Amino acid sequence: MRKLTSILAAGAMALSASFLATQAWAQDKKITVVTWNIPYFVDGFNLWVEEFKKIHPDFEVERIDMKGTELPTWYQTQVVAGTPPDIVNIQGGLWLEYASQGGLKDMTPLLERDKDYKDKLIPEFLSNWVYEGKQYGMPLYVTKTLLFLNKTMMKEAGIDKNPESFDEMMAQAEKMTGPGKSGFMTLNFDWLYWPLFKMNGIDFANADMTKAAFNTPEAVALVKQLADLTAKGVIDKISWTGRWVEPNGAFAAGTVGMLHAHAPAYLWFKSKGEWVNEDTVDSIALPGGWATPNSHSLVISEGSKHPEEAWDFVKIATSGVGAKAMGEGTNNLTGDKEVNAELMKYFEANVPAVVPALQTELENLDKLTGNWPFAKDAAIKDAFYPELQAAILGQKSAEDALNAAEQKVNRILASQ
Amino acid sequence: MATGTTSAPAQDERRRAPAGKVSFLASQRGRELTLVWLFLLPSLAIFALYRIIPMIWNVVLSLEFWSPYKPATFAGLYHYQEMLFYDDAFWEVVWNTILFMISAPVGIALALGVALMVNRPVRGREVYRTIVFMSYPVMTVAVGIIWQWLYNENVGLINYMLISLGVIDRGIPFLQSFDWALPAVIIASIWQVIGFYMIILLTGLQSIPPNLYEAASIDGASPAQSFRRITLPLLKPSIFLCFVVGIINSFTAFDLIFVMTGGGPGHSTDLLITYIYSNAFRLSKFDYAAAMTVANFLLFVALAFLANRLAGGDAGSVKREA
Repeated sequence: MRKLTSILAAGAMALSASFLATQAWAQDKKITVVTWNIPYFVDGFNLWVEEFKKIHPDFEVERIDMKGTELPTWYQTQVVAGTPPDIVNIQGGLWLEYASQGGLKDMTPLLERDKDYKDKLIPEFLSNWVYEGKQYGMPLYVTKTLLFLNKTMMKEAGIDKNPESFDEMMAQAEKMTGPGKSGFMTLNFDWLYWPLFKMNGIDFANADMTKAAFNTPEAVALVKQLADLTAKGVIDKISWTGRWVEPNGAFAAGTVGMLHAHAPAYLWFKSKGEWVNEDTVDSIALPGGWATPNSHSLVISEGSKHPEEAWDFVKIATSGVGAKAMGEGTNNLTGDKEVNAELMKYFEANVPAVVPALQTELENLDKLTGNWPFAKDAAIKDAFYPELQAAILGQKSAEDALNAAEQKVNRILASQ
Repeated sequence: MATGTTSAPAQDERRRAPAGKVSFLASQRGRELTLVWLFLLPSLAIFALYRIIPMIWNVVLSLEFWSPYKPATFAGLYHYQEMLFYDDAFWEVVWNTILFMISAPVGIALALGVALMVNRPVRGREVYRTIVFMSYPVMTVAVGIIWQWLYNENVGLINYMLISLGVIDRGIPFLQSFDWALPAVIIASIWQVIGFYMIILLTGLQSIPPNLYEAASIDGASPAQSFRRITLPLLKPSIFLCFVVGIINSFTAFDLIFVMTGGGPGHSTDLLITYIYSNAFRLSKFDYAAAMTVANFLLFVALAFLANRLAGGDAGSVKREA
């Protein structure tokens, strides 16, 4: 009896050991991909996995989708825990914080190795994810700011041509302003408002990015003008306090004449405002063509245990059929030139409403602004924006606000 | 720790021990003490793991340059210097936190008024109590969204009413204004917690013996005198509890601020808790956030000490029965 018990125990132990070993092996052959608030993007993601498995059949792909507000917190705790996800879909300047501290994989050698892949991509968008000469991200889908025009309000105000300069844009906005109506609105996060400054000839920093360059008489005059127009209701106050939902929601209500936002805003406010269609909303580049890119990229964590496999996955998702699936699944353009041509045909046939907005995304690529590679991008934003907000909302004079902002920004730039 | 005076049972134990008959663990007292510690051990372990160790780690972190991506280096008091002498937003958020906290008495006073009203034998008072209390169990995120809409400059109910009554001719951008945003958020916070205060105070009111009021009435005391001499002194423990809840609320009101204003415009509605979060997770300044957490902790301890002194110095102590 005792012998039988021993044999059974030994068998159970051997079985457990082999099970645990299999589990450990399965865990080891896995990459984790984090996407940014696209839970509906299922078929396309499955296609990526299918393509990936053709070259790495023994690998599993785990997907996690997170909201933008949750992702940075979660990602950094994972890094601290020593279990960073292999691939992360990242937006805005967030990647700079991680890249500058050595948290992301330098993809330059990989990109140089895969010339065919590199040649497919739009260089202007690729350069959005370069920090100190190193490539840290690959464009997943590309967007930049543009101007949406409420044609109904323009018509009511007797405006029959699109604005061609900042002053003309503000003059038209003033004409459209009335009780319960404002003429202009902008998104403000991630430097999306900076084209308003750039179109007035104002630079944020000097050429080598070591000192603030925005505190000029022109900037003071502009801030005063923006404050004045905001006080008069020409520029909706939500421009300076809302993030994404609030300004886009306000435009969807049909009471705002122009919205300076990025292309994905279109389908969002279209879904909220029944009045929105190709006849009532026009999409044009901001006068002068300046725009702030707000694209999404895929980055690889420095702590990834499978950087080569992760790189293969990134290539699949950002080019060819994978990129096409991304574009069709989210109604966006991608970083792949050829795929974009196919996507435009697809949108013309299936989602014509979005075509004018998307057309602007591939134009004026030499006029991108607000995409400065500051190591402490978030801290600089946090130093500058509250001062600008205070001046525009009448809490401080333009001079005092810009002086204070200059002092703070220079202190951060010096500490980088 | 041994002291000069030893109790008789302990001396008995010691006398018995050398004989080798009964060890400490086998003694009655030893068994009781072991049992007590065994019961306490899980809670103490959890407390140490989730409170004491993080607190110590936080202090260590505040003295380092630390990032999730690099090895830590010693920073000394750098972050404290930064916080005290260079970060004007820090002082703004400390002031906001204090303002948020000192708004608690306003909420308590309002809740007391409501509690006094619904304590009277009026018809349907249970319904009124329920209505007032209803705001408390509502999720804070929902409260934030409701008040965001109420405060909306163009379509908000508050502006609509003020315009309809002729008080203003143009909507006030409550949450977009540096002057109005903090009061607006404080009002929303008071609205949410007032039901809770009311229940605490109502319980306190109902525990006051009615014969005290009868005696006061026979002695010719006016309602105001009864309120001042009987109600308020006997409600002191309930009011103190509400005040403590108010203090805690001002240090933890993260969700309401996050939903309603995100701390803006500027830092005008940021509280210490939201500013710490934003520095840690948005700006990746975990070390600096740790230094502010130490400041937050010290401020909280100072306020708790002050509140305890104001309450007579023995709030929360356990009184043994004779």
